[in-house]
Amino acid sequence: MRLGKLFFGAAFFGVISLCAQNKQLLYDFYEIPQSLMINPGVKTLEKWHTGIPVISGLSFQAATSGVTVHDLFADDGIDFTTKVRERVLDAMSRKDDFSTTSQIEGFNVGFRGKNRPDDYYSFGMYGETDIIVYWPRDLAILAFEGNGGANIGRSFDLGDLSLRGEMVNVFHFGINRKLSNTLTVGARAKLYSSIFQFQSTGNSGSFITTQGQNNIYTSRIEANMRLRTAGADEIIDILEEDTSTTQKDLTSLFTKRVLLGGNLGVGFDAGFSYNLNPQTTITASVLDVGFIYHSKDVRNFTLKGSAITEGITVFLPEDINDVDNDLWQELVDDIEASLPYEENDNGYISLRPIKAYGSIRYDFGQAEDRIENCGCGINVKEASNPDLYRNSVGGQLFLQYRPRGIQPALTAFYQKRLGRAFSFKTTYTVDKYSLSNVGLGLNFQAGPVNFYVMGDNLLGYQNIADSHYASLQFGFNIISWNDN
Amino acid sequence: MKGIFFRPFFFLLVPLIFLSCTEELDFDQFDDLSVTPTLASGLFYLESTEEFINTVNVSGVFYEQTFNFDPFNEQFVAERLLEGTLSYEIENTTSKRITLFIEFLDEADTVLDTESFTVDPAPSGTLTREVAYGPAGRNIDILTTTSSLRVTGGNLSDTTSTSSESEPKIILRSAAEFLFRLK
Repeated sequence: MRLGKLFFGAAFFGVISLCAQNKQLLYDFYEIPQSLMINPGVKTLEKWHTGIPVISGLSFQAATSGVTVHDLFADDGIDFTTKVRERVLDAMSRKDDFSTTSQIEGFNVGFRGKNRPDDYYSFGMYGETDIIVYWPRDLAILAFEGNGGANIGRSFDLGDLSLRGEMVNVFHFGINRKLSNTLTVGARAKLYSSIFQFQSTGNSGSFITTQGQNNIYTSRIEANMRLRTAGADEIIDILEEDTSTTQKDLTSLFTKRVLLGGNLGVGFDAGFSYNLNPQTTITASVLDVGFIYHSKDVRNFTLKGSAITEGITVFLPEDINDVDNDLWQELVDDIEASLPYEENDNGYISLRPIKAYGSIRYDFGQAEDRIENCGCGINVKEASNPDLYRNSVGGQLFLQYRPRGIQPALTAFYQKRLGRAFSFKTTYTVDKYSLSNVGLGLNFQAGPVNFYVMGDNLLGYQNIADSHYASLQFGFNIISWNDN
Repeated sequence: MKGIFFRPFFFLLVPLIFLSCTEELDFDQFDDLSVTPTLASGLFYLESTEEFINTVNVSGVFYEQTFNFDPFNEQFVAERLLEGTLSYEIENTTSKRITLFIEFLDEADTVLDTESFTVDPAPSGTLTREVAYGPAGRNIDILTTTSSLRVTGGNLSDTTSTSSESEPKIILRSAAEFLFRLK
């Protein structure tokens, strides 16, 4: 029963959230301090910065590579069951997914080293939710059509079940160092405090019903399936208590886990920016190379083994003395013994979803005046500051490790700077979710106050319910560009 | 200062809000979703050699057993069972005229339904029968209240004759194919 609830919960979160996590608009947008979070080796121009707590960086992203809300729920007069059959069961493959990532920064602070102006230090805390649910195609068809009728002889792949999700709070500290006029590198250490985590990946097995060797039908199942959860049980228990203290108990539990009271892990980010020439820059970063060890509030479910049945079988004379009247129950018991469903609380390690970015940028157009006393270390020695070209074009590559392999996205971008006060970046991205993803990011700087807002897949807003991808990021920062 | 906050919304968010739209959606359609899988499974298989039949002289009954059989009266199944078919195949390669009875019993051992077969000696081919339950057949409640089956095999011939077939046997095969409403 609880397993069912967990599956339902996982599917529910995944389906309603529908997200992915490429931040192509923010990447290498170095006027925005949060760009340090996706490339610790990005060029930094600030003397110091501080995000306005809780609203310094919020990002919500959504994507579905398969069916959209509009596909199913448009008021088009088509029978809903027919739509599910034609647009989901017949159209979606096991590679399609629903996924979600959202991040909320608690705080984010950065400052340049007083004695080492080439170094820019940053630290902070953010919460992240990341869930992906692959479409369990064969399991869905089995539930919708069954194993009978035209499906006699069809093998259902139990490995189609693949999902993963977690909510984690991250404490981080990063160092960004300009090693030379052409090279900036950076790294960020992370301490993960898990709030909950679940994963059911690497499943295998099949279920098939065929003409029997003896009886009319034989059914065979082979399964090696596993669902691991950590942190979910206590949350479910609180929700099931249904008392007046539910909200208080949940808040208390979340607070404890946010502040390192849950399962812990470590990881790091790393990145660099390198000027091939004064106007051409390449960058790369790798994020969330880390793991969390789950030992508290762990509950795992396994289904492993194989069973074959043709129903109750009686062979005479061999079975004449078997006068037991529990033949059916014995059959059920035999199947359960051959294919045991078990629970355990063994600790496990979950890897963070590793992400990698790479880019090449060409700057052109009339250069802006250099920033006086920007405190940028080596930058201030430059006769002209290549960071201040008015225009940039380039391409970016995003790779993300997912349960079914690496998921890439390719982006072309154009960036325009209208003085220090305003800059924008527009992107065109191709990935598994969309071939028409045009995004726009705006950055405003008024005195020390910085505000940025970014929206993705703008064409999808014509009918948001029919969009395969949507994302929004925004945040407020206070930035000091000057010594004083 | 207000401009700092206003401009971004003006340039991006406000246009998005005005430009974004969605065709009319009706989430109540989910209530109309019909999920009715057809499930198939082998049920009962009985095989007896002619040699064994010849060893049983008592009232011609060579096999009789009552055993629990409640896959259909589990609450989850019983509430969702719509209709279906029980299929039987009987193959007789013995020299006997054989009769087989399958009785459906409830928890009080009351006979709810009986399926009987009589097959001639070989060569008699394969007897097949499909019995429908539900709106177009017998009452589905027969299955949902069945708690056990009584299977009886009887020999209507002598106990001395032997078939010329190799490995003469009487075989009863059965399977179920049923429509369930999951949603």
